[in-house]
Amino acid sequence: MTEGDLQALGEQALEEIAGAVDQDQLEQVRLRYLGRHGGLISSGAQALAQAPQDQRAGLGRAFNSAKQATEAALERRLGELRASRREADQADEWLDLSYPRSPLARGHQHPVARLIREIEDIGRALGYESVRGPEVEDDQFNFELLNLPPAHPARDTHDTFYLEGPAQGWLLRTHTSPVQLRTMMAGPPPYRILAPGRVYRRDNPDPTHNPMFHQVEGLCVDEGVTLADLKGTLIYFAQAIFGKERKVRLRSSYFSFTEPSLEADVSCWFCNGEGCRSCLGKGWIEILGSGMVHPNVLRNAGVDLERYSGFAFGMGPDRIAALKYGLEDIRDLYENDLRLLSNF
Amino acid sequence: MRVSLEWLGEFVDLGDLPPSQIAEQLTVSGTEVERTFPFAGGLDQVVVAEVVELGRLEGSDHLWMTKVRVPGQEPVEVVCGAPNLHLGAVIAWARPGTELPGGLKLGQRRIRGALSNGMICAPDELGLGTDHEGVLLLPEGEAEPGTPLSQLFPSDTILELEILSNRADCLSHWGVARELSALFRRPLHEPQTEALSRSGPPTQEAVSVRVEATEDCPIYLAECIDQLGSKPAPLWLQRRLMAVGSRSISAVVDLANYVMLEVGQPVHTFDLDRLPGGPGQIEIGVRHGRSGEHLACLDGETRPVEDALVITAAKQPVALAGIIGGSATAVQPSTTRIILEVASFNWISIRRSTRRLGIRTEASSRYERDLAPALVTAGAQRFVHLVEQVTGGRVRPGAVVDGGLPRAADPIRVSARSVSGLLGAEVDAQTAAEALQLLDFEVEIAGEDLSVQPPPSRTDVRIPVDVTEEVGRILGYDSLPSTLPPLTKPPSGSPGLVRAERLAGQICIGAGFTEAITSSLVGKEQVRVSPGLAPDIVPLSLSNPLSSQLAELRVSCLPGLLQACQLNQSRGKERIRLFEWGRVFRPSPDGAGRPEEPEVLSLVDNFWGTESLLPDMALNSLLGVVQALADGVGLVEIEFRPAPHPGFHRQRCSEVWVAGECRGVLGELVAAEGPEVELRGTTVAAELSVDGWLVDGGRPGRGVRLAKTPALSLDLAVTVPERAELGGAVSAVRALGIDELEEVRLVDLYRGKQLPEGKKGWTFRLTFRHPVRTLTHREGDQLRARVLKALATLNAVVRGGSE
Repeated sequence: MTEGDLQALGEQALEEIAGAVDQDQLEQVRLRYLGRHGGLISSGAQALAQAPQDQRAGLGRAFNSAKQATEAALERRLGELRASRREADQADEWLDLSYPRSPLARGHQHPVARLIREIEDIGRALGYESVRGPEVEDDQFNFELLNLPPAHPARDTHDTFYLEGPAQGWLLRTHTSPVQLRTMMAGPPPYRILAPGRVYRRDNPDPTHNPMFHQVEGLCVDEGVTLADLKGTLIYFAQAIFGKERKVRLRSSYFSFTEPSLEADVSCWFCNGEGCRSCLGKGWIEILGSGMVHPNVLRNAGVDLERYSGFAFGMGPDRIAALKYGLEDIRDLYENDLRLLSNF
Repeated sequence: MRVSLEWLGEFVDLGDLPPSQIAEQLTVSGTEVERTFPFAGGLDQVVVAEVVELGRLEGSDHLWMTKVRVPGQEPVEVVCGAPNLHLGAVIAWARPGTELPGGLKLGQRRIRGALSNGMICAPDELGLGTDHEGVLLLPEGEAEPGTPLSQLFPSDTILELEILSNRADCLSHWGVARELSALFRRPLHEPQTEALSRSGPPTQEAVSVRVEATEDCPIYLAECIDQLGSKPAPLWLQRRLMAVGSRSISAVVDLANYVMLEVGQPVHTFDLDRLPGGPGQIEIGVRHGRSGEHLACLDGETRPVEDALVITAAKQPVALAGIIGGSATAVQPSTTRIILEVASFNWISIRRSTRRLGIRTEASSRYERDLAPALVTAGAQRFVHLVEQVTGGRVRPGAVVDGGLPRAADPIRVSARSVSGLLGAEVDAQTAAEALQLLDFEVEIAGEDLSVQPPPSRTDVRIPVDVTEEVGRILGYDSLPSTLPPLTKPPSGSPGLVRAERLAGQICIGAGFTEAITSSLVGKEQVRVSPGLAPDIVPLSLSNPLSSQLAELRVSCLPGLLQACQLNQSRGKERIRLFEWGRVFRPSPDGAGRPEEPEVLSLVDNFWGTESLLPDMALNSLLGVVQALADGVGLVEIEFRPAPHPGFHRQRCSEVWVAGECRGVLGELVAAEGPEVELRGTTVAAELSVDGWLVDGGRPGRGVRLAKTPALSLDLAVTVPERAELGGAVSAVRALGIDELEEVRLVDLYRGKQLPEGKKGWTFRLTFRHPVRTLTHREGDQLRARVLKALATLNAVVRGGSE
């Protein structure tokens, strides 16, 4: 056997390897050329042993290169055949990915609770601590200490549920503002809190009213806190909730427990401020009430007026959720229909 | 409240400003403009005409056949159904070809065989309000036939305003004009009130006033006006009333309305000849109503007036002060003499009465705010100034007054530094003073300090921060910088309750439960359906519930969750898993103290129609959730102790014990009885009190040494009595205290023919591991034998092999 023969054998092997259409054929090819017994290339090794001394080196090189090339080709072809086999096998299978998900799928957050958590997270980034306060309050905390004496006109919008029997004299809080007082009375300033929770008003249920709803109260009191700080904070919250592209408008307003008082509107995200049904043609949606904490309230809570000032703000996550998620009727939020909840 | 831009123009020149800019500025300054709409636009083609013939249309009992005439033209036939038409009436005629503001195009029409040319228009058809009770009748002599209606009704813009509850001064055109004058830096003109020639006998001959309730009525002013004519109010006044949605009634009533809408002071008029106590001097009094007294009011209702502030004549109630007059003394078309009342009433007293009587009028809605007594003068002067022109009446000399205006409050002292400090922007004394002067405040500057006197109509500005608000408002919050307050104390994070609630929510959601928010207010029957953790609690109830369905405070979240299950079921859901973390309410243990409102975490799993799901499986997965809560939130060891509980299945019910305290209940609910909840299928539920374990409870985490040696796993199969409890068996094994025992786990539960009656088989997999060396099988067998010995004390017998 000459160098040329070995080379030719090698090329022939490569051709057959390339021609093998499945792993069985490839195995046949392997046995034919590289089989320990009778393989064409393997038998080259015998030829090598018998070759004259001066030809051995050349034959050896030819033998090695033919063998290595064949082995490499075999491996490559085996990989190719396996891959195409896998592909063919998988092509036979079919999985309907549109099939309903496993019934063990996770549950969902309530949209109002989710929004409250979102607001808490936004506040936490500014150092606001989340706190809770009682839902059963008395007239002092719900009204009087908040600068809302009996017969105050602002009480008109706070139609109140009262308890009876042994709990006579107690009421269901109409807003989360009593938590301001409780926070301030519990220790010295500074304060920076968010207080979400349920509130109750004796309003007949309709598409925009439910006797039970939620508020999130914010309070920031420290030395030198200003209305400009309130403005910055409101813009921050409004844009964090509704998107950076929203414009924020501050309107002078009136609340008994703040002075000056402001309301914040964001440009309507349905019509981009053009005026539509959702914003009642105004182009703005009212989302926040706020103001600098009234000196009477600070005084009632025992805060040193000479040294400290602060602001408070409040928002209604139910109304915001209804607006944000396009609900026509706020009462849908309290039915707990899974068809709605499973979207959150 | 509605204001007309044309009317406002009387006090401040707004001519060149677009209504949208006026609305925006007003809104931002606190007077919110709810809506802007046109009044009387596009009336060029409608023409004033006179009705020259009037008769019934043949075959109709309500339609008129009229002829209307425009000078220089032949009278034209128009059919009309208006009840208020009369011969000689001056009306607005839309001739054929006219297009009305609403878009209606008129032509010739045949009505019951008669040809009708165009239309005689009602106010609403002309865009002059909503009145459709009759056609627009124009005052004769003021409206020349042939004139285009647009000359009498020039186009106007109406703003619908929401006035803040502390701004009683803005409940009038004059008040709003003052705001606009400041916002647009334009001069404010006072309402004209120059002196009028009074004549006739002095007022005091006709009327005396004695206020008994001086607390509730600081000042009461009476004028007497006689020789009233019978003509309607002039067109300009009628037009302004129409523009703001008020109907014209008679010259006197219209003027009273006009004055109120213009300067904000309600005034009332009595027919002098119908007041009790005449003829001769009428004795007007102001006192509180007495038990048994009633008043027949202008609106046709008779109301008890006990405790309400009333106006009396000859000691009999003739009006509910500040709210509504009596019908017996009301001004009528035939009235020739009136007593005019202009008074200030205590807003708290008026509020109390309107609330109790359930009545609200234009007057009361002003009086129930803190309306400035100073407006009495303005209101009286304006009425008197206009009365001759409007009604033809003559004012008698010398008003009769009881009481007086309160002394002006001391000026408010405020420093520019404190204004700047609160606003967060540098405002010097001069700038602040100028802003305030725009609002008619009197300001004296002494260096940094301002001494401020608000105008008498402003009752809302009392303390320095009120002044700061006015400065900020007028300078505009737009111009304020936008900053964030520096954080001077490290944030303390959120309390354990908040963290626990979130973490628990994540676990429940991960386990397939959806978060619900159910009502804290529940019905009496509903409360009893499933009392959860509080079977013995008497729920707190509301004294003024909206309905019996919302009458009590919940003691458990379960009734609400079950109701939500029912709703979902009725809408076709077959499996409903809900949870709620919320407050429940209980009376204070000592009775009258603050009620308790602990938080609970409740879960329900309801399913029906799915046969592959068994109650045991659902209960098991619920146990798994509670275990996960203990492991993941509470970081505590918990124990499930079988125990019966009201509302739950006797056998399938367990309490959850943590550190010697019962913290929850869990099990299969028995079929709910009663009409409140009708739930199909099986429901398993848990209610956990969160304090003491989920919130701020438990151990901190701890590390363990991770042995690298191989584990040795051996199985142990035993036969035990049917009611043997797995937990007890595992505890017994654990109690052995074998250091090498890493895990003991049940891998098979067997019931079948191979076992005797009343027995079941357990196969445990025991995993042993030594921290530093490999355990031999021999050692493993010895350890297993110890485990078996412990199990034997619970009547476990080894099964199968020879061990």
